[in-house]
Amino acid sequence: MLEIKDLHVEVEGEGTEILKGVNLSIGKGEIHAIMGPNGSGKSTLSKVVAGHPEYEVTKGDILYNGESILDLDPDERAHAGIFLAFQYPVEVPGVTNNTLLRESYNTIAASRGREELDPLEFEDYIKDKLELVEMNPEFLNRSVNAGFSGGEKKRNEIFQMAVLKPQLSFLDETDSGLDIDALKTVAEAINKLHGSEDSVVLVTHYQRLLNYIEPDFVHVMIGGVVAKSGGKDLALKLEDQGYEWLNAYGTVNGEG
Amino acid sequence: MVKPENVQSSVLHDLAGYAPDSDNALMKKVREQSLTHLNGSQFPTRKHEDWQYTDLKPITRTEFFPFNEAGIQPAINVEKYFIPESDRSRLVFINGEYQEKYSSIGGLGNGVTVGNLSDHIDESAVEEFLNELVDYDNDPFVHYNGLMFGDGVYIHLEKGSKAEAPIHVLNLYTDSEKAYIATPRMLVIAEEESDVTIIEDHIGLSDNTYMTIPVCEIKVEKGAHIHHARIQRDSLSAIHVSRPIAYVEKNSEYHAYTITLGGKLTRNEPKVIQEDEEVDFTLDGLVLIDGEQVADTHSTMDHRFSHAESHQLHKVVVNGNAHSIFNGKIFVRKDAQKIDSFQENRNLLLSRDGLVNTKPQLEIFADDVLCSHGATIGQLDPEEVFYLQSRGMTEQKAKEVLTYAFALETIENIKVDSVHQLLIDEVYRYTKANNVAKVTA
Repeated sequence: MLEIKDLHVEVEGEGTEILKGVNLSIGKGEIHAIMGPNGSGKSTLSKVVAGHPEYEVTKGDILYNGESILDLDPDERAHAGIFLAFQYPVEVPGVTNNTLLRESYNTIAASRGREELDPLEFEDYIKDKLELVEMNPEFLNRSVNAGFSGGEKKRNEIFQMAVLKPQLSFLDETDSGLDIDALKTVAEAINKLHGSEDSVVLVTHYQRLLNYIEPDFVHVMIGGVVAKSGGKDLALKLEDQGYEWLNAYGTVNGEG
Repeated sequence: MVKPENVQSSVLHDLAGYAPDSDNALMKKVREQSLTHLNGSQFPTRKHEDWQYTDLKPITRTEFFPFNEAGIQPAINVEKYFIPESDRSRLVFINGEYQEKYSSIGGLGNGVTVGNLSDHIDESAVEEFLNELVDYDNDPFVHYNGLMFGDGVYIHLEKGSKAEAPIHVLNLYTDSEKAYIATPRMLVIAEEESDVTIIEDHIGLSDNTYMTIPVCEIKVEKGAHIHHARIQRDSLSAIHVSRPIAYVEKNSEYHAYTITLGGKLTRNEPKVIQEDEEVDFTLDGLVLIDGEQVADTHSTMDHRFSHAESHQLHKVVVNGNAHSIFNGKIFVRKDAQKIDSFQENRNLLLSRDGLVNTKPQLEIFADDVLCSHGATIGQLDPEEVFYLQSRGMTEQKAKEVLTYAFALETIENIKVDSVHQLLIDEVYRYTKANNVAKVTA
């Protein structure tokens, strides 16, 4: 489903290379975890896949369902079924969750050949999605993320994922800022949402999310490259031994 | 005609000779006072500190004519601007002149008097307050209004009365062959524990050049509440120079919301003056400008007694070559303790060539007060744009939505539904019409 080939990325206009040749392959129906210390480039990778304009791809390619998406705008990637749950969800005062979600749902539905929903149909449609993440329906009439706690924002991201039904989801540090109960709720929701037709990439600093969501593959990013890939045992080893033993793998380009 | 003394003549001084006559003693007094003050007031230039950012060429380079020489056209589609909530509480003025046939003032309940000022000129409240509440030293605009106005708005609420519907003051400005100057006038007296909502509209019916100088005197007596929305949709060639002033007594509330959409040059100088303890007042503003528009707000919130809460959120969106100026004076006098005052000026700059000047001006002489203020000038946050795009919105749509959301906050407080909706539509039209994405890309 997603094929990342020798991806080199700089911050637009700054010339500092952040991703230095990432290779990653994600198949249909799989769950991947990308781990790594701060500054390893894992959040950048998620944003680049979603099309953040701040980053410039200088080399390599991202193929989604066999086609390069580098020329697509973020909204076109969303239409194609790519979703990014933000590490720091943005507050949008003045736009209600309901307005944003229905607008999003319908534009994405239109481009993916699903039926658009009118306000009443939409209300029905999202009812069980709210229950899934245990969100109060009052959230719908509040401005997007405005005044939400860190945990509420993260929950809202997964709620949006539930509503938009993406084919490929990058969940960037969704576990941070969640207490243990909220973490369980969110993890269960992700497990329920995940099916054989869609893929999920969990980007996380810690292993604890993986206690609740079992990944098929674990990758460790260090210094802008994927330093090591493996099964879920790799995550346990990281929990046990930290990232230091992997540093040798990450210095292939002469940097840490 | 008396010539100005010690001041250079200006369009306002030149047209003073056309002041109307009146047999009424009060009106005579008001005009004499105003003429004396006008003749002692210098027309501003950019050398005055309060005018240093404001380009007055739209006034100084225009030749203005008295009404009978301006080729005034009749008003068209007047009914289009009526609001349903004020079906029986509406005053209509065309170029400052009262229009009985379009007005309707039967639906306000006991104790509420609404009408044309010149029909109520003999009432004791008018004699007590008319032209006594203006407080604009050396300001030729306010005195020009005092000299020229004949008709005007009179709103009087007796003790304990409540206006049952919002009062709609509809000021229309008609097309003309030559530029003219209108001088709308308002006097609002809300006695103890009374309550009224006023919607003050200024609408240009065409794209001609005119100047309007609305002067509004407001007295909010003990425990009274006034909600005052001022919506300016003048012609894009027009000049709008307004002087609304409100005096707030003990336990009273005055909340004003000024929305500036039209006009080539707008200069608003709202003032609120605290007359006793325990008051609550608001001077919010929303400015949406584009092209060559200049919108200037110089406000004053004068805290003279203890225990006041005051609030000022002034939001501005600038596009094209437009220019916004904000100067917010907050005075807290020596013995005015326990003041809680909030001022924020937020500017959203959508274009490369737009310009914003902002100056919060706090003068605090008391020591136990809480005064927060802030001014920001920024563009749309790229992270917010990306967030909405990642949810499927096009870049243009995302920028429209964010601009719309920025502007919306100020109009949320306007509690008359149809006006609220009208403003939502205006904000939406502004964000659409300006093709936000194109100019910010």
